[in-house]
Amino acid sequence: MQDRGRLGVLLVAPALAAVLVLFIYPLGYSLVTAFQAKGGGFTLGNFAKAFEFYSVDIGFTLVIIVVSTLLIALASVAIGGYLTLGENPLAVAVLRWLYRWPLFIPFVVAAQCMRTFLAKNGLMNNTFVSLGILDVDQTIGFLDWRGIIITFVWKQTPFVALLVAGAMASLDRSTIEAARNLGAGRLRILFEILVPQVMPTLVVGLILSFVTMMSVLSVPLMISGESPTMMTVDMAFRINNYGDYGTANALGFISYLMTATCAWFYLKRQIR
Amino acid sequence: MKRNLALLASFSLVCAALTAAPAIAQQTTLNVVTAGDQNMVDYIKDFLAPRFEKTNPKAVVKAVGTGPGDGGSQKIAEKLQAQKGNAAWDVDVAVIHQKMAGDLVREGLLAPYVRDVSTGRLVTSEASKNALGTNVQGYVIPMFQSQIAIAYNPALVKNPPKSYEELAAWAKANPRKFGYNGIKGGMSGVGFVVGWVYANTPDGDKLMKGPYDANTKANWDGALGKLKEFNRSVVITPGNAGTLDMLNRGEIAMGPVWVDMFYTWIADGKLPPNMRLQLIGPGLPGQPMYYVIPAKAANMEAAKKFVEMATSPAVQAEGIVKKFNWYPGIDAQHVKSQLDDKTWNKLFVDVTPQELASKGKVFPIKPYFDDILESYERKVLN
Repeated sequence: MQDRGRLGVLLVAPALAAVLVLFIYPLGYSLVTAFQAKGGGFTLGNFAKAFEFYSVDIGFTLVIIVVSTLLIALASVAIGGYLTLGENPLAVAVLRWLYRWPLFIPFVVAAQCMRTFLAKNGLMNNTFVSLGILDVDQTIGFLDWRGIIITFVWKQTPFVALLVAGAMASLDRSTIEAARNLGAGRLRILFEILVPQVMPTLVVGLILSFVTMMSVLSVPLMISGESPTMMTVDMAFRINNYGDYGTANALGFISYLMTATCAWFYLKRQIR
Repeated sequence: MKRNLALLASFSLVCAALTAAPAIAQQTTLNVVTAGDQNMVDYIKDFLAPRFEKTNPKAVVKAVGTGPGDGGSQKIAEKLQAQKGNAAWDVDVAVIHQKMAGDLVREGLLAPYVRDVSTGRLVTSEASKNALGTNVQGYVIPMFQSQIAIAYNPALVKNPPKSYEELAAWAKANPRKFGYNGIKGGMSGVGFVVGWVYANTPDGDKLMKGPYDANTKANWDGALGKLKEFNRSVVITPGNAGTLDMLNRGEIAMGPVWVDMFYTWIADGKLPPNMRLQLIGPGLPGQPMYYVIPAKAANMEAAKKFVEMATSPAVQAEGIVKKFNWYPGIDAQHVKSQLDDKTWNKLFVDVTPQELASKGKVFPIKPYFDDILESYERKVLN
């Protein structure tokens, strides 16, 4: 019995070591340096600086990501709902085939595509103009906060939709049939029968998306040069231009707090 | 038994491979680490490496890129600092930005190799002696000199502004037709902001030459207030390439760009050939990138040979000027004789050598540089 215990430890050891070395150590290191002055000693100066320079950006980051998360929720429920309740088999098949594509495209590539797609005289507007829908003078570019949200939603929706559609497909269809027999419309079935039942899956998907989006640097950097910008850009700027890891880590600490709040909800759901 | 034999066989194979390895290792692998965009890595990998390996058959050049902007140089500095205690360092030649050169010399991380390299005599420029206020003579040879200038679309701008003052008036009259990339998206935007401070404060000379005085930045409120006002009528583009992209698509009519990127984009067909450059007064900054050799480079001799080749007039002419549209790193007269007039003049169509001499500025010394960026964050962005 003791041998088996030892074997268990041995089996877990590589994974544990990887987590310790690659995650816990850097995490602890960055937490400590967030509170460290240039010379050594303890300080809150890094946080004072982070708030003085970047409080607007912190708020901006939160708004962008919360709005993106809500839009992702809507879009993925719509996709999952249509895949489960859609009556046109061809449309369902096409949607099922199409919606997953962005999953396989890295953020940096998505950002590069959106940069040429969403620009004022970019692919999207040029198409509208050549179709006669818009006039050249009426076009506007989306390479600002709107571009960031569009890219996030486009990139993360498939991930959440995949989870949600899977959960919806595994539900007992008799509840749907019963509602239908009693005369409920599809929209009503979606929001009163399907969504409440897949809520745990939906929330987990959204939390994971939230955390992923918090960490993306390429999208805000490539889509929008405007200010305010997202915290990841500020962290990169602090390190690259001033070699100032203290303030960068303070900003990192603040984003940990944001994601930790999310993680807390996630764990609470897992345990229940 | 059979299985044991198979095991033994594969074991002896592995042993053979291991003993064979030193034979290959007889070759020197020269690690050339460069900051900057992908074009820098390509230049070393595709242009310099084959030439060097031809004359030094035992050497293999390995090009490594550490990323664009000062961040790339910062990574090289951190790598050298981390290896400080080791006997031999795994960076043989590094290509770094001007901002980091001073720090590395002060920390004793670079070798004073220029005296041992024959091409060292071909460089007398200010940039080869002074890096943002630090004396770096003997430790660096400029790989090239680059310059920021205002690119404009002559179809939309008939009389381009000649100074910052005229530009501000033009931007106000033509809202959202001027674009630059702020300070967080690359050096062409940073350079534009630095030029703005030179133009709108009396401190220009002091900022470039020192000495540093922490109180100087208190006088910049007026200049930065004007810049905040200016920013309301311009577009902030996403990055150096973002400015060129928007020029190409006709979304903006004017914006600051690196001269070499500008010409390369035209040569690649990514920018219409009718685009022009204007170096506005009192001036915009430019900067060199430096070839340096770390103090304890593992292959010191080969590294010196490599830099000697890379800074020879023939390579500077063919690679730096003709292929990449940079201004040469060594003194121009040695390079000019290697090229036909047409190629040489292409570099100086819009910006004449006289203009370059009078309006091509350097970046400020490091503490002032940081002050300008932080003041911009504090006063213009907030």
